Amino acid sequence: MQLPRIFAPVRASIQLSSASLIPSSRVLDTFRAANASLTVSFVRHATHQSQGRANGAKDGPGKRLGAKKTGGEYVIPGNIIFRQRGTAWYPGENCEMGRDHCIYATEAGYVRYYRNPLKHPKRQYIGVCFEKHETLPYPPNAARRRRLNMLAVRRDPEPEIGEGQVVVGDLQVGDSTGSETPRNKPSTKLVMGKGYAFREANWEIGRVAEKAGVKVREFVPGDRFRAWRKSKARKEANAERKRLRGASKKPKTKKKR
Amino acid sequence: MASIKPSIRHLNTCLRCVRRSANGNAALNGTSVRLLSSSAAPREEAQVQVQTQPNPMDKWPPLDPALVDNKRDERRLIRKEGIQPIGSRRRRAALRTSPQVPFEQLPYQCFQEARKFLLEDRQEKIKQIETQRLRLNNLLAQDPAVSGGTEAKEARIRSMRNYLNELVIWADINDPLVKKKFEDGEGDMNKPVYRYLADQKWRKYKRLILEQRIYQFNIVPDILPALDPVADVDLAFGRRKVAPGDFVDSLVSESMPRLKVQTFDQGEKLVTVVVVDADVPIPEKNGFTYRCHFIASNIPISPTQTSIPLNQLDQTRKVFQKKAADKNIALPWLPPWANKGAPYHRLAVFVMEQSEAKALDVSAIGKTKRDGFVLRSFMDKLKLTPIGITLFRTKWDENMAGVMQRAGLGDQVTVEFKRKRVEPLPYKRRTERMR
Repeated sequence: MQLPRIFAPVRASIQLSSASLIPSSRVLDTFRAANASLTVSFVRHATHQSQGRANGAKDGPGKRLGAKKTGGEYVIPGNIIFRQRGTAWYPGENCEMGRDHCIYATEAGYVRYYRNPLKHPKRQYIGVCFEKHETLPYPPNAARRRRLNMLAVRRDPEPEIGEGQVVVGDLQVGDSTGSETPRNKPSTKLVMGKGYAFREANWEIGRVAEKAGVKVREFVPGDRFRAWRKSKARKEANAERKRLRGASKKPKTKKKR
Repeated sequence: MASIKPSIRHLNTCLRCVRRSANGNAALNGTSVRLLSSSAAPREEAQVQVQTQPNPMDKWPPLDPALVDNKRDERRLIRKEGIQPIGSRRRRAALRTSPQVPFEQLPYQCFQEARKFLLEDRQEKIKQIETQRLRLNNLLAQDPAVSGGTEAKEARIRSMRNYLNELVIWADINDPLVKKKFEDGEGDMNKPVYRYLADQKWRKYKRLILEQRIYQFNIVPDILPALDPVADVDLAFGRRKVAPGDFVDSLVSESMPRLKVQTFDQGEKLVTVVVVDADVPIPEKNGFTYRCHFIASNIPISPTQTSIPLNQLDQTRKVFQKKAADKNIALPWLPPWANKGAPYHRLAVFVMEQSEAKALDVSAIGKTKRDGFVLRSFMDKLKLTPIGITLFRTKWDENMAGVMQRAGLGDQVTVEFKRKRVEPLPYKRRTERMR
């Protein structure tokens, strides 16, 4: 606040009556006379909004956090064991932490909640051990217990790739019998498109009609009769389509009314 | 010295373009070398009219292999004359610019003063070494009862020896010539200083990476409970060097690798080389086991004798001594192999010191079974201590089928590993009460 400006009239009045001293009881009167325009309000306004969203939601819906599997429960890979905000629990043996810090199993086994002072003195871990009688943590210098989770299968000797077959990566696109559509002809080259799908290039698609021998009547500029017939046919087709659409809609609207 | 170096290098780079033309044909053309001047010399201006058609070969005068310092000249030297440049490029660049004055006569006062100081320090260290030797000899001659029992005496002797070794290193560590020789790779590994410097260099980079790989690939604790590598091991298949943990093509690893084992402590050692595969799948047990791919024993190494070409181990010896007892290879090389679809195999190459450099019985070791080989018990049984390790990985590739056929594993070629389906947990019906 600019105090000097407020007191300027006071100063002026003092200068005026500098010759005669004002008694102390009349000082306030002088002040009032000088400051006819100045209003001094003593109302205190709120500086913080008391209503609405300003104070944040105090009680939202619960997020269903906490243990989803108890200690000793059997889990399979992908089972969520614990949901949490932040890392109250860390993933131990055969467990991983998800995007939202949830702990999930990577192996089938039995859930264990434990601490491992050798790994970290303060953290608490959730692990999965393979046998029911085992406890975690495992001894630090022993070989890790691992599971293969795979099956040995006899594989047929690899089929020989003949001529005229299109192989994209490991995927065989077509057999060379000629039963496929002309688009999948062996001569076409498939490239990785936008959506990570193998597709023909646009210029190749554009040539399809040409290759298939499709004949199109040549466009003659200035042939108004033909243009009129085409536009008429288009308009009729549109009107027909509109009528069909209206027919399916009408009963509904009638019911509402 | 260190503060001088960069400034010299900067000056070098500034003058490089000028120097190239200058050192090339300065002498031949008779033009004077005028560094840091942009105007032509008056003599040159006068000669312009006089000069006849210059010989085009004057542009490319013969190069000195000890002095070429840029890539282009080096290539020209190698291509045209078939001569390899001598020493490092750094050294050649330094030689080119410096008149070859020995250290003692270098005209830098500060440098000479520093050298004097270092020489004094060295004299002091040598004196200390002498007194320490004398003390050690006195202690050795002392009666154990006087020095407080045999154990106390031995402990004192050990600590005194350690201190003596440190003094020997400290005496030479500040010598600029020692530093230069080490950096040029001419250090004599029989001398403690160079061994110490090499050890430091190894620990600063290569060993850190090796430690990381050992940790990342769980070599500890999968194969051994603990490991403290003290020797630098380099693995190469033919000319192909393999960094620790690299994937090696099966065709490349079909033949035996060669090892370079650099030890950093004095004396000759007998070592055993063991190659273990830590990821052999057993589908019946739904787990993994170990397989031994190679064992060779009684291989002598020392700080100067570093090469162990595994493929030449028994071949060279056969010529001189045809005794079966002198063979090195206990278990011949089994090419690393992996089934299609199986997770990658980690193959760890261990260099293990034999206790007290005693030779082992190779034929007895040869009876060890390859499958289910446990290195922990093997080590304990033969009293081996691991001093060096390196590792590589292998997995199914297009050459694997052929390699397996040649190794006599034809029936394994068609076996493929596929992921087992995980059965979902039984669906729990929601009862009325739960709702």
